[in-house]
Amino acid sequence: MSVARSLPHDAAALHVTGTARYVDDIPAPAGCLHLAFGLSNIAHGTLTALDLSAVRATPGVVAVFGPDDLSPMPDCSPSAHDEPLLGGPAISYLGQPIFLVVADSHLAARKAARLGQASYDEKPALLTIDAALAANSRFEDGPRIWEKGDAASAIAAAPHVVEGVMEIGGQEHFYLEGQAALALPQEGGDMVVQSSTQHPTEIQHKVADALGVPMHAVRVETRRMGGGFGGKESQGNALAIACALAARATGRPCKMRYDRDDDMVITGKRHDFSIAYRAGFDDEGRVAGVEFVQYARCGWAQDLSLPVADRAMLHADNAYELPTARIESHRLKTHTQSATAFRGFGGPQGMVGIERVMDHIAHHLGQDPLAVRRRNFYASGGDISAKKKAAGTTPYGMAVEDFELHEMVAALEGSSDYAARRAAVADWNAANPVLKKGLALTPVKFGISFTLTHLNQAGALVHVYQDGSIHLNHGGTEMGQGLFQKVAQVAASSFGVPMAAVKITATDTGKVPNTSATAASSGSDLNGMAVKVACDTIRDRIAAHLAETHQTVPRRVHFADGRVFVGDADLSFAEAARSAYEARISLSATGFYKTPKLDWDRIAGRGRPFFYFAYGAAVTEVVLDTLTGENRMLRCDILHDAGASLNPALDIGQVEGGFVQGAGWLTTEELVWDDSGRLRTHAPSTYKIPACSDRPAVFNVALWDGENSEETIYRSKAVGEPPLILGISALMALSDAVAACGAPYPALDAPATPERLLAAIDRVRA
Amino acid sequence: MTNITLTVNGKSVSRDIPDETLLSEFLREHLRLTGTHVGCDTSQCGACVVHVDGKAAKSCTTLAVALDGAQVTTIEGLANGDLHPMQEAFTEHHGLQCGFCTPGMIMASVDIVNRYKAEGRTLTEKAIRHELEGNICRCTGYHNIVKAVESAAAKM
Amino acid sequence: MTLYRPDSLDSALSLLGKGGMTVLAGGTDVYPGLRDGAPPAHLLDISGIAGLRGIARAGGQWRIGAATTWTDVIRADLPPLFDGLKLAAREVGSVQIQNSGTVAGNLCNASPAADGVPVLMALDALVEVQGPGGSRQVPLTDFIAGPRAVALDPGELVTAVLIPDGPGQGAFLKLGARRYLVISIAMVGAVIATRSGRIDRARVAVGSCGPVARRLTGVETALTGAAPGDVARLVAAADLPELAPIDDVRATATYRNDAARTLIARAILMAMEAPHVA
Repeated sequence: MSVARSLPHDAAALHVTGTARYVDDIPAPAGCLHLAFGLSNIAHGTLTALDLSAVRATPGVVAVFGPDDLSPMPDCSPSAHDEPLLGGPAISYLGQPIFLVVADSHLAARKAARLGQASYDEKPALLTIDAALAANSRFEDGPRIWEKGDAASAIAAAPHVVEGVMEIGGQEHFYLEGQAALALPQEGGDMVVQSSTQHPTEIQHKVADALGVPMHAVRVETRRMGGGFGGKESQGNALAIACALAARATGRPCKMRYDRDDDMVITGKRHDFSIAYRAGFDDEGRVAGVEFVQYARCGWAQDLSLPVADRAMLHADNAYELPTARIESHRLKTHTQSATAFRGFGGPQGMVGIERVMDHIAHHLGQDPLAVRRRNFYASGGDISAKKKAAGTTPYGMAVEDFELHEMVAALEGSSDYAARRAAVADWNAANPVLKKGLALTPVKFGISFTLTHLNQAGALVHVYQDGSIHLNHGGTEMGQGLFQKVAQVAASSFGVPMAAVKITATDTGKVPNTSATAASSGSDLNGMAVKVACDTIRDRIAAHLAETHQTVPRRVHFADGRVFVGDADLSFAEAARSAYEARISLSATGFYKTPKLDWDRIAGRGRPFFYFAYGAAVTEVVLDTLTGENRMLRCDILHDAGASLNPALDIGQVEGGFVQGAGWLTTEELVWDDSGRLRTHAPSTYKIPACSDRPAVFNVALWDGENSEETIYRSKAVGEPPLILGISALMALSDAVAACGAPYPALDAPATPERLLAAIDRVRA
Repeated sequence: MTNITLTVNGKSVSRDIPDETLLSEFLREHLRLTGTHVGCDTSQCGACVVHVDGKAAKSCTTLAVALDGAQVTTIEGLANGDLHPMQEAFTEHHGLQCGFCTPGMIMASVDIVNRYKAEGRTLTEKAIRHELEGNICRCTGYHNIVKAVESAAAKM
Repeated sequence: MTLYRPDSLDSALSLLGKGGMTVLAGGTDVYPGLRDGAPPAHLLDISGIAGLRGIARAGGQWRIGAATTWTDVIRADLPPLFDGLKLAAREVGSVQIQNSGTVAGNLCNASPAADGVPVLMALDALVEVQGPGGSRQVPLTDFIAGPRAVALDPGELVTAVLIPDGPGQGAFLKLGARRYLVISIAMVGAVIATRSGRIDRARVAVGSCGPVARRLTGVETALTGAAPGDVARLVAAADLPELAPIDDVRATATYRNDAARTLIARAILMAMEAPHVA
């Protein structure tokens, strides 16, 4: 079997030799043109005049399109038809594209794009959550509210109450490969688009819409992305549309890639949140009721903000059974970049909220936060199946039947030596006035499935050629997560052939149609299953044929080690394929999969939005310089549940990378907009993603030895997003270290930059 | 326009180029060596690292015309028949995910190991971390990258 | 754009005399700018000029040639006086940038956050300038006229940084949200000469805390005669008019002011520690 093996990434050999091609590396036909956007200089107002004469006069410029040159104005939105390709007359954020330059080189286009002269009638911009709230500027009519029981009464009756407000900053994706697209005009007005996208079908849909042609006239191909993290779920639409329009207008191939500064200024990021909370609990820290008000800053366009904000609500419980809960969610419209999908899709923000509550409760009671967390855990799946306890229900009414954090946390507590280190940290802090240490263990329970139920489907196309080689295609996209390799392992296992027999091919809307974005961690779950269905179909046809020719029954035909065993006979897989071909057996099949058991009403906030939950837990120890706020991660231990992993090495890679990305979000990665709405952190010199020395000095990562209780592909679990949320342990460890400086609760906001830490230290020392 | 002649991956190359052409642009656009990536355009991310006369350099911060007569090695020229031990180690230790930073990461790492060996210094894990500060990876969390460099250093 | 790569100082000066030249040494600040707008008409690369690279001591003075890279500084065999400069060298960008970027270029760029400036100010560095009128020496504090502005006349070129030799040990500390690759929030260069465990002469400068780096003369005077145990108290109590922190994208003024005082005291103590290998 090829599954469950730690094979390298499918393209590792190409990557290490520099021969893996990203969109900008694809040899473009002669005459290829290059595009760049000219950007608005104000956050809100009306474009009153746009002088593009200097742009047009720049050597190398072939064409320039302003807002008046495109009619109708193409739309780039994946949801609400509210994202014109070019802004104007209405300007909605600083950095919004307002004209498009087509030139004979990338640099010529970029330089010309800086020569546009725009005049504006500037209006006051809503840049913050507070400003948007005051102006009642929002998506949807009012807040979404989901309730379980009567939280207000439960809190009023509880012996203890904590409350507060927490700010949680956004996050730039910083995929190393910026957004890119290449449009190649075809005969009869058709268009082929190479796009760095997590969602080829969406690109196809939006390009067809912009060109005014049916979807069948547009084919989109994506071999790989240099990182996505959600940032390429919808943000590539503008580039693909621009390239397709310019390609049609000029009849020449057109390519566009955002330079890093443009990418950061134009595209959306993780939603920043403000979360107000009030919780009632008993002497042991058991929660009786919680009220959350979540405010999400969504930016200028709706994009994916509704499901993102929904997912924040859906994760307001994280791992804790809340007897009563009220969750209110405001989706605020501001004059900033349109916040978009980012690994976790709102879930992490919701979980930071409840982890803050747990931390605050423990501090209030003077107890170890881990003890408080544990007391609030859902009932163990083991206890539920043994009928010792009933399954708890989430605030949205879904029974949590697969809960395994009691067991995982106990294992991690032991392997990380938590109790002894907790005591050592206390001793250290008693002895050291300047450097304070902090320790925190935080759990993760993350719901797996798209909350828009119809997206939980996938297709695959598999061909077996007469020489026994296999062509594999499915709707998922590869952004580094190893999806292609995991799915190829499924295909190779199905046919019992070595991995070399399986050719992984680029995602292609002409091969598998109507795909969902590779998002919501669902890539392997959905596409693995669809591929297995397709492979098993062909395999069963071959088996039936061979059973007939060898006068046996199909169940006596086995596929293993590149051979096919038919009763006593033994053929190579190639011989079996040739035999089937000559017998006129179809060796091509599609596969289709839809996730079962889902039933969800997002307006009521009731039902089963998730097929299952993925779990994990992390213990992080930090040391904090209480005079400057500088800090280091000393050690991190992680235990993560990938079910029966399809590829343990790739899954551990997701866990390590996810943790570091999550810790970066909550500590060093700070986005700063000035009062005019200009993003001031638009380069790696000012926006600080973790570098090589930032990861913990000791980093122990292990996978939980278990399998998915639901029937997923080989009982594995999704692993893309959940590990990011393990990074909360770094934030809580810093909170723990600040708490060692004085009696008041630190109430630390995120990201916990040295500056915020020093301010928190000053507060608790005051 | 200036005519330059330099050796790229062992082959002599001669071209007329504008003086403002950056080495990264020269390699990617003029020579079609697209393994050298541009991730930030501002010399911060390290995806564009190549070797100039045997030393690591950021090709987005180097003018091609200044390299007349130089020896340049890119990721495409690192393997000498067999994969370089650093290339093998990145594969074996899963030191890559999306792969975009990988060429620069490998070229920087080879330079680090060569330099430490030439100077007779011990390449510790801490030293690797310090030396790789100029190479950003958004996917892996660096853990497997450091393991790969340690492993390759033992074989180089 | 035309790139000139003279191999002698005379030809460099004669090219400069024609006007319209942008001088570059390592180019690490010049190249990123090529992406926007028109490139400079003429670029003068001084990195190939004979005799402009290297560090040497002569006549009670150290001379760092204008084409000397940060890596050259790190590798040079220098007395403890230069410990701070070596630490600063390791904080410049990344290793590859240290390989190309030069000490003199860092000064000429005159960024408020230039890593080399505070420590060179604390070393009483002089900038050696050559031009049509011959050679002159300018104290670094005068050379840096403002943010991104230096006291160079047309046709003039920085040829070296000169540092008077003397007793003392240097130190450098930088505060940033991330250890490396950071344009800092605050930084301090200190050079301390001690006698019998007490400060004989303190020289301290801060960077990133205002439009230009500044020497902290009040603190320097107050520290004379101080023992290590007095330093934190003296710095905390000192009036620091030179600290004029600015609110910017990297930090607020309040945080800078607080953190800078901590950093100043630590840098001074570091410069008083037993000699160590930088």
